[in-house]
Amino acid sequence: MNRNILRSILIISYMIIIAVIIGGISSLYSYLNTGADRATILHTEIQKIDQYIPDVYWAPLYNEGRPMDQETLERIENNYLDAWYVKQIAYKTNTTSGIEDYYTENARKNLYNTIAHNTEEGIVVEATTLEHHPTLEFFSEDGQLVVITDYDVVEYKRLYKDEVLILETTETATYKIVLLLEDGFWRIRHMVKEHQEVYTEKERFDTLKDISVKGINYYPQATPWDMFGDGFDPEILSKDFQIIKDAGLESIRIFVQYDDFGKANVQEDKLQKLKQTLDLAERHNLKVMVTLFDFYGDYAVLDWTLNRRHAATIVSSLKEHPALYAWDIKNEPNLDFESRGEKQVTAWLQMMTSFVKNTDPDHPVTIGWSNAESAIILKDHVDFVSFHFYEDLDTLEDVYLYLNEEIPTKPIVLSEFGMSSYKGIWNPFGNSENDQATYHKEIQGIIAKHKIPSMSWTLYDFVEIPKEVVGRLPWQKNNQKQFGFINQKGDEKAAFKYIFKE
Amino acid sequence: MKYKQHIFLFIAILIATISTGQEKDQGNSIGLLTSQTEFEVGSTVLLQFSSAEAVTPLLYCSNSYGSTVITPVLEETTLNYEIPDFIANKSGLVHWKLIHNNPTSGSFVMSPQQHVATMETYIGPPTIEAGDIDYTMLVVIPTDALDNPMPEGTPVMVHHRFLDTQTEEEIETKKIISYKNISSRRKSGRLFIAAECLETHSTEYTVDVLPAIPTDFTISVDRPHEYADGNQITSFYTSILRDAHANIVSDGTFVTFFIRNKAGNVLKASGTTVQGIATAKMIHPDQEEQWTVQAYVDGMAESNTISIAYQQVVENVEIAFAKANREIQVGPLKSFMNQMIPDGFQVVLEVYKDNVLLETYTKTSRKGYVSFSLEEAIFKNDTYTFTIKTAGLEKNLPNIKLW
Repeated sequence: MNRNILRSILIISYMIIIAVIIGGISSLYSYLNTGADRATILHTEIQKIDQYIPDVYWAPLYNEGRPMDQETLERIENNYLDAWYVKQIAYKTNTTSGIEDYYTENARKNLYNTIAHNTEEGIVVEATTLEHHPTLEFFSEDGQLVVITDYDVVEYKRLYKDEVLILETTETATYKIVLLLEDGFWRIRHMVKEHQEVYTEKERFDTLKDISVKGINYYPQATPWDMFGDGFDPEILSKDFQIIKDAGLESIRIFVQYDDFGKANVQEDKLQKLKQTLDLAERHNLKVMVTLFDFYGDYAVLDWTLNRRHAATIVSSLKEHPALYAWDIKNEPNLDFESRGEKQVTAWLQMMTSFVKNTDPDHPVTIGWSNAESAIILKDHVDFVSFHFYEDLDTLEDVYLYLNEEIPTKPIVLSEFGMSSYKGIWNPFGNSENDQATYHKEIQGIIAKHKIPSMSWTLYDFVEIPKEVVGRLPWQKNNQKQFGFINQKGDEKAAFKYIFKE
Repeated sequence: MKYKQHIFLFIAILIATISTGQEKDQGNSIGLLTSQTEFEVGSTVLLQFSSAEAVTPLLYCSNSYGSTVITPVLEETTLNYEIPDFIANKSGLVHWKLIHNNPTSGSFVMSPQQHVATMETYIGPPTIEAGDIDYTMLVVIPTDALDNPMPEGTPVMVHHRFLDTQTEEEIETKKIISYKNISSRRKSGRLFIAAECLETHSTEYTVDVLPAIPTDFTISVDRPHEYADGNQITSFYTSILRDAHANIVSDGTFVTFFIRNKAGNVLKASGTTVQGIATAKMIHPDQEEQWTVQAYVDGMAESNTISIAYQQVVENVEIAFAKANREIQVGPLKSFMNQMIPDGFQVVLEVYKDNVLLETYTKTSRKGYVSFSLEEAIFKNDTYTFTIKTAGLEKNLPNIKLW
């Protein structure tokens, strides 16, 4: 009996082992038989995804040789930018993948040599180009060779040696480039740098001396942090703007989320909703401060061109809008210092500030720092300085005076302040609605005393807070829900009286 | 004594201040010693800086293809930065910057060697059309031994030979490349092209000058006789097809002959040219015909129109019945000399019953005769009407009784 059991166990386990081995071999065999898709030979299947989109301004076409057609020019531009992109990736990672698609056999060596040297020395170059001004010089009769002069290529570079940042530089350079059409790719054959200088930011705008802001940070009650989604309702906005206007305020601060708006390809419907919001603000005589890049947190150099495309689309479509008051580049970027590195974040902010200024020369640009200490960073680059204040009220006056002393030439705006009236299981020692009212009464006193341009947080108590805002922890979420002047039922809270002081 | 002491002290202090002052100056700045700002590629490029401090700041360096950082070698008060080969070997501007709290920056130019090592030559299109319009383009990128393009204005000599004429022309490099358009001549033939730069010669390149498109032409016809016997073959020929400059068009030019008959139907025959002549053939009709013929090279040229007549050969159709009228013999079919018509002449028999076509039989002649036999199984004993059609003639045989 026992022997029979043993025997059957042996046989069964033998069968299982055989089955596993055969299964393994057959899946390997079928994997090896899948083969490559024939279409891949011609590289025709490569999908165009936006990964590197610096601004390219072609000079009018007066090239020698064969006349250029738009389609070929686009192909050349795409391949040329891809060549830059793979180069940036290669120097960032010190690997060579992708280079052979965009550089001819002889030209590749130059990159390989640089990579070899940088690998040996522990050098990493993070770089991107932000602007290209190519001129087509020559197109050969058989359509296989072009010569381009790329004027004033704005290049931002960050060099690391042994993982320590040693240099950050923005340069403009001019290159002459020969590209050959090989295997369906326009590949770089020769590249000669002809000119280089340090990039200088164009100065614009007389410094703003004085501004007066009496406003509020705004999200609709039902759709906080999702203002331009499916729940977008012009009637609600109109009603809310009326409340804000009736309360004596003059402006609102709203937020445009980077991912939500479609990153580099800004979604037209979202943009329309944003425009509609500004139209409604205009109708109610409110000015709007638009905060860009909300919930964005990458700052990677190779993301810059995508960020710029996003900003360019939004800024240029709103810059003529009469309700627009100012651009806030990013909300509380200093909170990303720890995770992304202060230098990285600051470099991004500086680049973006300068870009938005150039795209819209008529509206001031600021950065919504979460505290006063950070507000000094980039003070020379913003048109006015803004900071948020959620600390003890007693220190506000000192903080404001300190900032005023540090930055005497530019207006300082308190663009967020407020107090939550949440008191419950998660925070039994929280503030009551009366505490909140007292807070606003006091802060309005300080604001009025020093004529601080200010915007409070926020009109409504919210029912739902997305986890991206303060995380998942219930005490933070619940706290965040009750910063409003109007409670969840829609009734004015005690603080509403002090929303604004003449 | 005291006076002397004072002077001594004063001088000592003076020296001390001067020397400390100098030290201070040197400490604050690192000065560039190298004055040369242009180097030939491949040479050793050494940037030297004076430095009193024992610091060794890194040098950021960026050229046409990339950026890097160079570590110096400190020799007493001189900082030596040796530019690595991969930068020193490539032409173009090199920008540098000392990574130091008092950064100095500058640039130097790497210029290509004065000697051409390779001539990158691109020529295209490889075939062009004769005449004065079409041209091919020669693009030459002379490069030195380190693969750097020659500077602007380097002379490049272009040689080209066509038939018996040899031409030389000098062009200059401009924006890295130099190029020359070489026009075709009126004659077709082969163009030999070569380039030369600073005594380096390219290999030979050839471009074919092909004849241009044909001009209008004429056609002719050739046939063994003029009779419509359905047997002989008529050949059509084009004249020699030439382009506007009298070059014979390329072999294989496709010519289509359109033949329109009396009834307005179109027959098509085609051929390709050999030495400019295209040939096409068509079998003779089997009845009197009048053909109108014109040839075309699609979209390019056409011929004149010619017409040809064919005479009727079979004048009369004799019919004989046998085997209970079930065997119908047509013939003898006679040709133009009363000879039996060559085998293969077509005869059609149609069988009707009460004006309804029951069956059609098509047969070809053999030794001047065609015979049809009607099977009992298909045609029951009854009265039928027959029609015989051949050589454009039609003969009706009503009410034939089969038994």
